Amino acid sequence: MQVKYLPEKHIRDSALCLLARYGEKFGPVERPPIPVEEILEAHLELQLDFDDLAKRLGVADVLGATWVRERRVLIDQSLDPTQYPSKEGRYRFTVAHEIGHWELHRHVYQAGANQPSLFDGTEKPSIVCRARSGKDRQEWQADTFSGYLLMPEDMVYLAWEERFGSLEPYVAVDEIADLTAKWGLGEDDHKPTVAAARELARVFQVSGQAMQVRLIGLDLIRTDVPPPELFPHPGAAQQHM
Amino acid sequence: MAGNPAFGKRLRALREAKKRTDPSFSLRRFAQAVGISATYLSKVETGEFPPPAPDRIKKMAQLLGEDPDELMAVAERLDPALSEIILEQPKALADFLRTAHEQKLTGEEIKELTKQIRGKR
Repeated sequence: MQVKYLPEKHIRDSALCLLARYGEKFGPVERPPIPVEEILEAHLELQLDFDDLAKRLGVADVLGATWVRERRVLIDQSLDPTQYPSKEGRYRFTVAHEIGHWELHRHVYQAGANQPSLFDGTEKPSIVCRARSGKDRQEWQADTFSGYLLMPEDMVYLAWEERFGSLEPYVAVDEIADLTAKWGLGEDDHKPTVAAARELARVFQVSGQAMQVRLIGLDLIRTDVPPPELFPHPGAAQQHM
Repeated sequence: MAGNPAFGKRLRALREAKKRTDPSFSLRRFAQAVGISATYLSKVETGEFPPPAPDRIKKMAQLLGEDPDELMAVAERLDPALSEIILEQPKALADFLRTAHEQKLTGEEIKELTKQIRGKR
């Protein structure tokens, strides 16, 4: 289903508002990791379950699905972090992604559907999220929401400063070149993740890849050599030294 | 593997009631506190898998603040501690239980009898 365009700022604000509302109810979240399961289950009061989604839905590579009217989210059991601890990051990203659908898109599926229906396992999910499908707008919005919810910028800046002593960005060009030479390109042809991203990923309990994308977005990791500053403005030297 | 939907439903209802005010009753945290995987708990609650071992059911009851015997009864499980009790006086206790069964004592009558025995001590 096609959803309307949303500015990124709107998505970011939705994620931060949700976190604040959770905080009002259950105590403020001041440090990572963000309790995404608690937000989904206790605050939004949705049911969370694990299942073999490929089998249930007959579609390969499904990581999560949301049934809006039934207020139910299913995560593929291959991501269960209590059985597969290495899947923690992907699992949490998927949970936050489904929360994103709930916050941003549920009204699309609720419209005109006021008769309650009982979940009997045969209902088709409103939203199915596959591992690597061409990402349409709705999936992109949920991914973006997930990134903002799991890694709020204040917490990222704070964690970066605590770890590296300043907010100076890290120019990762050489490290990425070395990693690429050694291991080839990362999963899904992404850039390989640098040590700084992997380290912060552990703090936020997200994948190294998701952390790196966020750090690049916040200009804390740079993957290009910065052009020489022809007209450095006052304070710039201090910031970037 | 045949599940027990009645137990699953009851467990989920109890956990959800707690979860509304205490996020530590999330699927994962509750499963971890009980010592089972989140997938397993999920499938027990949806009735796909049978209830876990008696000691896990007792742990669940303790975390939920419920009567373990009641939850065990819904699970159609027997507390292994009971077998041990019977084995202490196997003949007399087996006779006692069989007689109660043959006489078709009702729950109320058994309760009354229990009260009387307690009073004697």
